[in-house]
Amino acid sequence: MADFISRISVVCFAASYGVALIFEASRLWFRSGVRGITMIGFVTAGLFAHSLYLIWRSTTLPSMPLSSAFDWYLLAAWLLAAGSLWMTLSNPRTPVGLFVLPIVLALIGAAELSSREPFPQSPATQIWGVIHGSFNLVMSVAIVLGGLAGGMWLIQAGRLARKQAPIQGFRMPSLEKLSIWSSRMTVIAATSGSFGFLSGIILNIVNQQRGLIGSVPWTDPVVLRMGALVAWLIVVAATARTMRQHAIGRRVTAVLSLVSFTMLTLSILWGVLGNTQHGLAPTQESAFLSAGLVEDAS
Amino acid sequence: MSLTFAGGNHRTVPIELREKLAFSSEQATQALARFQQQFPGSEAVLLSTCNRIELYAADGERGGPPPPDELAIFLAECRGVDPSHVGRALGGEQGTAAVKHLFCVAAGLDSMVLGEPQIVAQVKQAWQLAQQSGTTGPLTGELFQAALRAAKRVTNETVVGRERLSIPSIAVADFASGVFERFDDKRVLLIGAGKMAAETLRYLGDAGARNIRIINRSIERAHELAERLGAHTGNYNDLSHELIEADLVVSTTGATEPVVSLSLYQEIERQRQGRPLVILDLAVPRDFDSRIGGRPGVWLYSIDDLSQACDSNRRRRQKELPAALTIVEEETRRFMGELHHRSTVPVIEQLRAGWNETGEVELHRLFHKLPELDENSQQEIRQAFERYAAKMLHPPMVSLRSESKAGPPHRLLEALRRLFDLKE
Repeated sequence: MADFISRISVVCFAASYGVALIFEASRLWFRSGVRGITMIGFVTAGLFAHSLYLIWRSTTLPSMPLSSAFDWYLLAAWLLAAGSLWMTLSNPRTPVGLFVLPIVLALIGAAELSSREPFPQSPATQIWGVIHGSFNLVMSVAIVLGGLAGGMWLIQAGRLARKQAPIQGFRMPSLEKLSIWSSRMTVIAATSGSFGFLSGIILNIVNQQRGLIGSVPWTDPVVLRMGALVAWLIVVAATARTMRQHAIGRRVTAVLSLVSFTMLTLSILWGVLGNTQHGLAPTQESAFLSAGLVEDAS
Repeated sequence: MSLTFAGGNHRTVPIELREKLAFSSEQATQALARFQQQFPGSEAVLLSTCNRIELYAADGERGGPPPPDELAIFLAECRGVDPSHVGRALGGEQGTAAVKHLFCVAAGLDSMVLGEPQIVAQVKQAWQLAQQSGTTGPLTGELFQAALRAAKRVTNETVVGRERLSIPSIAVADFASGVFERFDDKRVLLIGAGKMAAETLRYLGDAGARNIRIINRSIERAHELAERLGAHTGNYNDLSHELIEADLVVSTTGATEPVVSLSLYQEIERQRQGRPLVILDLAVPRDFDSRIGGRPGVWLYSIDDLSQACDSNRRRRQKELPAALTIVEEETRRFMGELHHRSTVPVIEQLRAGWNETGEVELHRLFHKLPELDENSQQEIRQAFERYAAKMLHPPMVSLRSESKAGPPHRLLEALRRLFDLKE
């Protein structure tokens, strides 16, 4: 069994999601009685392999979950794939996979381009690291889901404004439902983003005070980008709340959610392709200090 | 073993004649009883709807069921119509063409409104009535089950029966449901009390709408409709207040000028506190100023907008017709293949019985010669004989099934009869 699990690769579940996406996209062109169940089968198979892969990583690496950028992206992809499956099962006539699965695949792609080196951790900072990573994960997933809801809202509103009947196989959820999703995700993203940023500050302070590994300068591009993103999310959540009783409020929330999603995408791209000290392995000196501290602590 | 049908529909039989030939369910029961007396041994199902009168007959035992022209005369006589008046109005088909016709009928492909769903229920009812009358049998049983299966496939695999065609159903299912997730917490305002309003409210009721308010210049008509639909009435003079409270408006007045002008809407817009408003303006001339549709949060649909969606759905249904006909062809071929295969059953049974009989004789002789064989060994040998017989029978059965797909395998059956000395 262990041998079987260890042979599961990223390609296995990425391919399953890819095939599921092709099946989902085919609903735009033709009808089929077995497509839905086949598509769900491929997502489930992908999710199963994905879960086994993450479990295998967690048993072979000491500091899971979220021990590296690679794992972080894979966990985010797993959450979205699970969400996609759940939404597909609860809304079988809505092409949820068509929107979510490309993002799942993009996150898996980002994981492949990211470092698999574990984030520098010491026993003193590990808990803050996990809290920081978890809040950021929730924020990112909420931004993605909010952005998707916003995008779908705009598509649905466009269709209704043009007075067109729904396209075959492309029945969107109602504006009411999308609006609720979008505004809820906005609040969740702002809240978790704020806590994620705060826990990051605490993590950095602890590291700096002890002159330890993983210390990030305040001017680090990732810190600045994340700070800006969190500030933006707070503005979006406040705007969405203020505009709730305006006729254009729902449209504004949808557009802002989509902008948040774009900002997150750019931020991830920048993170994957750019240079940063954030989350990098310790230098030789700090690694030495870290080892000394660990010895002291023990 | 064959099938026939005679009858006509909205295309072939003029309305005056259709009215005369139509059967109530009581008359249909009497007609089926008469059929049994007149054609003993034949099976029959009578389908009578607003748009068609068709009699399906089958006979697996005799030379065949009555031919279509005889069935047409029977139908006319049952309804007291002079058969000579029926003339060319009632047509008919036999064999594969009759099967294909029934499959098309059940799938709604022969209906006045392409793909209309009510016909499936009507076909089912006709079949049940024939069952109760005792005029069904194995052939019509399989035929009607196959027809319902074909109809189900057409519904599931094409959009022929799915796209909505009535304005109220499109208004509710494609537009109002695109804005609102649920209707049980929404306030519906009906302005006017026209026929289309009542139908739209019926769809809204099915979708869950409970809080319905009707306002009309004539309060009596509003009361009457409200009572029928379980709604409340309001004062027509409180139109502004009602518009502030409403989430969905259905308007069907006979007013010659717009009932709600842009300025009136702008006056109340702020008091709505940003809640979306769906307006289904089903009146001609329109009750709402079209510029209101441009206001944020307002989704205004006039009867023309909804008619266009209807036309577009109708075109989509028409586009799916070839796919639906392909399904009907497939199901017809499958059914006819099975029907032809049924005719081979007596030959196969004779063949099997002959082989089993010979096997039994040989087994008896063998066991007699080998008395030391215990019961288990005997059983093993018996099973081996049975397996051998089954394997030897397999190739001719496969050939028969394969031949049956193209038609009754008369030549193959004849060859088997002659080769194995089987009786007719």
